[in-house]
Amino acid sequence: MSDLPDVEVGTEVPALERTIELPDMIAYAGSTWDWHRLHYDPVYLEAKRVPAPVVDGQVFGALLAEQVLDWLGPRASLRTLHFRFKALVFAGETVRCLATVTAVEPDPDGEGDLVTLEARVEVVGDRGRVAVAPAGATVVVPR
Amino acid sequence: MSDRVLLTDELRARIGETATYTAPEPLGRAAIRYFAVAVGDDNPLWTDRSYARDHGFDDVVAPPTLLAETNQYMPGPRDADGFLGHSWHITIPDTRLVRGGNAYSFAKPAGPDTVVTATWRIADVAERTTSAGMAMLIVTSEARFTDQHGDLLLTNTETLVFTELAPAADGGAS
Repeated sequence: MSDLPDVEVGTEVPALERTIELPDMIAYAGSTWDWHRLHYDPVYLEAKRVPAPVVDGQVFGALLAEQVLDWLGPRASLRTLHFRFKALVFAGETVRCLATVTAVEPDPDGEGDLVTLEARVEVVGDRGRVAVAPAGATVVVPR
Repeated sequence: MSDRVLLTDELRARIGETATYTAPEPLGRAAIRYFAVAVGDDNPLWTDRSYARDHGFDDVVAPPTLLAETNQYMPGPRDADGFLGHSWHITIPDTRLVRGGNAYSFAKPAGPDTVVTATWRIADVAERTTSAGMAMLIVTSEARFTDQHGDLLLTNTETLVFTELAPAADGGAS
């Protein structure tokens, strides 16, 4: 398809950067029916000696899916997505999702291409660190 | 180093245990848009029905990770920590619990009319040792999500990691 980006081994997906503030975390908690105090309750956090509300790790899965599907377009479909947590991310921090194509091959289950990506999520700024790695996805892109 | 064993026979016997929940209502258009807005994902596939139809779907589509993430199918009530989601209620004294990660495999997109059934299973419980020599227990759960037609929507494999806490330096209780 002419509106698809060039997809070959080594291609870097445009980075997705997002600042996750407490209201965003409240919204995510509400939208997923997950009201764990870890994500917003200062009394709970102080008792657990956690310095600030902790971003729900599964948000990073949602962001990686968004990044890849925004790039490959509405006809692409995510087949797999995996991610492992390396460090907590706290309210107000900015994360950057990075992904690189590691394989492009004919989809064994269909007529499209199966694109494999390696990804990670970093916290940017002066407390920069890797939040999520390893991570990766496979996406089916129709020809 | 520690000689502590976290993997008891009682825990080992729970491998294979399952729990099944069916949502009392369809996923719903508002739930889909709520998730998209909360994440900040402005893909019109999630919110614009005519755009979704132009791209081969019957209706708006749920963002892929929504179904693995929402506890909408849980009956409640929440627990003391505010948590509503499925839990195996495994508690191990003097350990710290963290989430290890998730692996999703997507089979069929969900939409506003999808009524989800989630079946959780304890796939594995394994003992490891951390690089610092402390005991560590990894509980692997697999969740299968199906719709009202019995079709598989996705699977989610997730790990919980219990790590033994180092004894306090002064020997006192934490």
